[in-house]
Amino acid sequence: MWEIRRFPVLWLLPALLPVALMTLYPVAYALWTSLHSVMLLFPGEPFVGLDNYARVIQSNYFQDALANSLAFTAAAAPLVVVLGTLMALFLRRRFFGVQVVRSIVLLPWVLPGAISAVLWIWVFHPSFGVLNGLLRNLHLIEGSIGWLTSPRLAFVSVVVAHVWTQIPFTVVLVMAALAAINPETLEAAAIDCKSSWRRFWYVIFPEIKAMIVVLIVYNALTAFTSYDLVYAMTGGGPGTATTLLSFQIWRESFSMYDFGAGSAVAFIVVLISAVLILAITRALPSDLFGSE
Amino acid sequence: MAGRANPWTTGLFAALILLFTGGPVLLSLLGSLIPDRVLLDQGSSLFAEGLNFDGYRYVFTGELPRAYQAENANRAMISDAARQVPASLINSGIIALSAMVLNILLGAPAAFLFARYLFPGKKLSFLFLILSPLVPAVALVTPIYIMLQSMGLLGTRTGIILVHTARALPFTVLILSVFFRKMPAELFEAATLDHCSRFQAFWRIALPLALPSIGATGLFAFMLSYSEYMFAMVLSGDAGARPVSVVMAALARNTDVSWSLLNTAIFIAIVPTLVLVVLVWRFVVEGLLSGSVKG
Repeated sequence: MWEIRRFPVLWLLPALLPVALMTLYPVAYALWTSLHSVMLLFPGEPFVGLDNYARVIQSNYFQDALANSLAFTAAAAPLVVVLGTLMALFLRRRFFGVQVVRSIVLLPWVLPGAISAVLWIWVFHPSFGVLNGLLRNLHLIEGSIGWLTSPRLAFVSVVVAHVWTQIPFTVVLVMAALAAINPETLEAAAIDCKSSWRRFWYVIFPEIKAMIVVLIVYNALTAFTSYDLVYAMTGGGPGTATTLLSFQIWRESFSMYDFGAGSAVAFIVVLISAVLILAITRALPSDLFGSE
Repeated sequence: MAGRANPWTTGLFAALILLFTGGPVLLSLLGSLIPDRVLLDQGSSLFAEGLNFDGYRYVFTGELPRAYQAENANRAMISDAARQVPASLINSGIIALSAMVLNILLGAPAAFLFARYLFPGKKLSFLFLILSPLVPAVALVTPIYIMLQSMGLLGTRTGIILVHTARALPFTVLILSVFFRKMPAELFEAATLDHCSRFQAFWRIALPLALPSIGATGLFAFMLSYSEYMFAMVLSGDAGARPVSVVMAALARNTDVSWSLLNTAIFIAIVPTLVLVVLVWRFVVEGLLSGSVKG
């Protein structure tokens, strides 16, 4: 680490400025809205303090959505990072056709959320779906399983689809982090450690830990604020089984036209996300967020 | 650790990965080549009527597929939106490439400083960067719409590029600084001994070494922009600036559109992007695995 005495404006401003432009005013606007009663149907925007927050927290919809979003995040984020890391480790090997596999892994990435949703409906659809068709042909089931119509299965299905969409990004970055490891470290490890698990845990993992933490944070955030894939697959149902918080913001704002309540939900999401990030970085200390 | 494993387990893992990541897309390819009435008829074999390319012909030439011209067929099952796909791909290409280039240009210097230097205001500016993406996009749509409206950027690609760049930048900086920090310190110590300026250390040493990692990060910025839907929908206005995510969502939500036409559109949208992404990724992987970051 070298020291610079002045704030390096020329180096940092190009990155900070666009982010500030798209954050400061919009966030201030949303914060203002969350403290006022902003409803399309009622003129005037009186200050109401924390009323919006209190009202939102007490609603059943919100509590369901919060529980769903937390469960969704807890299931999806670790799954993405673990599966992605395993795939990345595997794809570093050389074998016949590895180039093809490395390319196909990126496929889920090139599909917009709405389209991924369509593909997964196609897989999970109770009557036309491929999964039920397959199980039927193998004589494992009679009739059909309601992958998207039973609350619990619908939740599992949307988690699977979400994990699918997020895997490529994790694979790409873990592979990149793996490749940045000094080859000599790996050679020494190959000699010293007999079991590949110990080799991973004691040699490889410490080297890619910072990247893994970034990926867990990123995936937790993505899962916690995602909505388009899940909404397109199930519409939040059956009942409220797959209603997520972001969808709740959207519903309060653009379908109930209660923008104050929508923004209040948004800031509760911000608060929880901040706590999540803090918890993740505390649980997995790395030199990432400090200055060493 | 390369390839001393049992070829059978290797094959099995490869097959599982291919099935999971590629399976749903393969279904879509199949769906684009088979008429709906065969797809939805559980009794008959999938290939009862063979494969046909009518859907593709319709998207590129406007010639109606035979299946829709038949008696009693529902003409509403065709949608003009499918024909917007090629143009929207060009929009998406321009928007996502711009967002990618801007992310690297604006983000790499900042990432380098965060990784290698101590300076006043470091913690605060870093905190600002990593906290900014916490606010859910849904909550920012309205104010950003108002802002771009006042800047006269509604319905333009520039507006969408600006938003996508800003949304990806915090992550670009974070990821790149992880890579810069991983570089061996001796390299930069040698540079300071040679009286290299900070810019020279960045430009001559860090950037060339980090090229594959920058490629991977650029890919991330590209894909984040390419698949982003909410801002793209709200800011693109009419058909002119619509990227592919918006057109595809319109198609996917239109329940009148036939499965095979929808799948055709999906496939047309996937192929050019996949080719581009795979090319970049090849370059990245080869750079990475040949160990250009040896130090």
